Amino acid sequence: MLHRKHAAWMSRALEQSVMEGLYVTVTKAVVSGLMMGLVFGLVALGLTIIFGVMDIVNFAHGEFLMIGMYCGLLTAVGLKVDPLFGLPISAVVGFLLGLVCYYGLVRYLLRGPIVAQLFGTFGLMLFLRNLALMIMGADPRTVHQGILVGKSFVLGPGIVIEVTKLATAVLSLAAFVATWWLMNRTKVGRALTATALDGQAARYMGIPTDRMNAFAWGLGGATVGVAGALLVNFWPVDPNVGLLFTMIAFTTVALGGFGSVPGAALAGLIVGLMINIAPIWDALNAVMGLSFLRGGELHQFKYSFVYLAFFLIMVLRPRGLFGWKH
Amino acid sequence: MEALRSAFDFSDFPRTDLCVAGTVAVFLLIFPLLPHSSFAMATMIQFLMFSVYGMGWNTIGGYGGQVDLGKAQYVGIGAYTSAVMMIRWDVPFWVSLPVGMALAVAWSFIIGYPLFRLTGHYFAIATIATSLILKDLFESWSFVGAARGLKIPIKGEMPNFLYLQFRQDAYYYYVILGFFFVGLFYLNWFRKSRIGYQLRCIKDNEEMARSLGIDSHWAKIKAYAVATAFVAAVGSFHACYNFNIEPEDTMSLDLSVLIALMAMLGGAGSLWGPIIGAAVLVPMKNYLGAFFGAKAGLVGLDLIIYASIIMVIAAFEPRGIWGLITRLRQGRGS
Repeated sequence: MLHRKHAAWMSRALEQSVMEGLYVTVTKAVVSGLMMGLVFGLVALGLTIIFGVMDIVNFAHGEFLMIGMYCGLLTAVGLKVDPLFGLPISAVVGFLLGLVCYYGLVRYLLRGPIVAQLFGTFGLMLFLRNLALMIMGADPRTVHQGILVGKSFVLGPGIVIEVTKLATAVLSLAAFVATWWLMNRTKVGRALTATALDGQAARYMGIPTDRMNAFAWGLGGATVGVAGALLVNFWPVDPNVGLLFTMIAFTTVALGGFGSVPGAALAGLIVGLMINIAPIWDALNAVMGLSFLRGGELHQFKYSFVYLAFFLIMVLRPRGLFGWKH
Repeated sequence: MEALRSAFDFSDFPRTDLCVAGTVAVFLLIFPLLPHSSFAMATMIQFLMFSVYGMGWNTIGGYGGQVDLGKAQYVGIGAYTSAVMMIRWDVPFWVSLPVGMALAVAWSFIIGYPLFRLTGHYFAIATIATSLILKDLFESWSFVGAARGLKIPIKGEMPNFLYLQFRQDAYYYYVILGFFFVGLFYLNWFRKSRIGYQLRCIKDNEEMARSLGIDSHWAKIKAYAVATAFVAAVGSFHACYNFNIEPEDTMSLDLSVLIALMAMLGGAGSLWGPIIGAAVLVPMKNYLGAFFGAKAGLVGLDLIIYASIIMVIAAFEPRGIWGLITRLRQGRGS
């Protein structure tokens, strides 16, 4: 009698612990997905501004991010200060990089056909990547010290939030608000929007569209530079880090709509959740006792979900969720 | 018959072009007889492979004007079909080649149908996405060796034409040279065929093409399938030539872009463009890589030079080297 009672209690306890495990795993995945999502959104923000203003796809976007990451790393390592102080430096470097790219290359590409634009920015991507390889070497590097690195706080049983990720998410949100304010509440932002809507008409109204294009590249470079300096706190940087982020940024932009700032933020969150499908799926499997695609098989495909989502969005709803430009 | 005559009819080119082309053809035919290093031989084989890739890309990307950056997935399908059939079922190369091409073309129809609802930049990025999905799948599919890839075992005696296994590179050279000439004559027919004219019309103005009664969606899918067949055939050859394939070197984005780049650099939409592009880029890449790769501290410098050339070409002469030649000629003529 006692034995049977004990067994029932055991099984109930086991069930409870499994449910708790599911709850913890899902919460952890969702929280980390949302926090990563804000950074993805910030990475995509620069791309969406550039695309919205002048209809050009920047393949070198991930490489801009990589340069931002190296800026954060080098300020942290070289000046022995916290990586967060690298933020303004990365922003300035990103802004200048955008300007140089616009005046040195993109202005000439705009005259040519689409093929030339694609290959021009692709050449830029190869150039920056191999420049980084030559200067910095191929080894992945991380930031080891800093007031945030390695610290975390506990949010309920088993749910640990790293401070670096939380700070990154908060600062990304701040950058979003700042960009939104710049685009909608200032004169230069309105001029930028006007150029995006109709370049020709904007030129007739006396808006210097060439300078606006350059400003869009600078702004895009600055936002992605900030994203890089934030990301380097918990993501190792090497010269080949760019391509993955370029594809994620393309997906985010496609999902949010080409040229939409709030769209980029929201789409970033969705993409962040999408990358965390695998742990959620594993937890569900564990609870239901299934063995379909279990044991991390899905983890290998976490970026495939992103590419697949991109393909489906492009085919089914090319405008994206909030896009006004097609 | 009519089509065959059209394929061998080059009479609409100026005579100087034909003389140059004839000289190059003779040079290609006798190249293995001339004294050469094995590095030069490997470079020549790569040049021929990339010119056939480029010819394939040229049908959809050059004549059709649809920038496709996902051709590597079909290289992968062709290469893996040949390798898997050879390893598991002992099927000769000449049987697995058409099977690989058929599989690749079937796949191209499946994804081409939704893909061609897109145009311009969107199309280009979507082709990259499909290619990367397929690469991720192959990297974790144990049937095809996952990320480690496949290794083709060596059969008994060496000059083996059925399985395409040779000790001397010259044999491989003549096989791929055969592919090259077949491709060239096919494209010569293609550019004067009905679909060739339809594609050029679509490239100039798609709405006008549609108003003239051209089914632009279907025409693009057909051209895409032609391009795929070319690329998959060379992919099969690649598997036999290298004896060793992995997703990273047959399906990567770099390969896709390289294919498109060769065609564009030489001059997309012209018969000679992809060949010129491959003739410039492949030796440059190989020799620069060999030259700088040996020196410490200069890793990546070859690709920096290479990227600079791409940017300069894209910015100042988007029609490529062939466009430059045409412009020079017109300048002299007037």
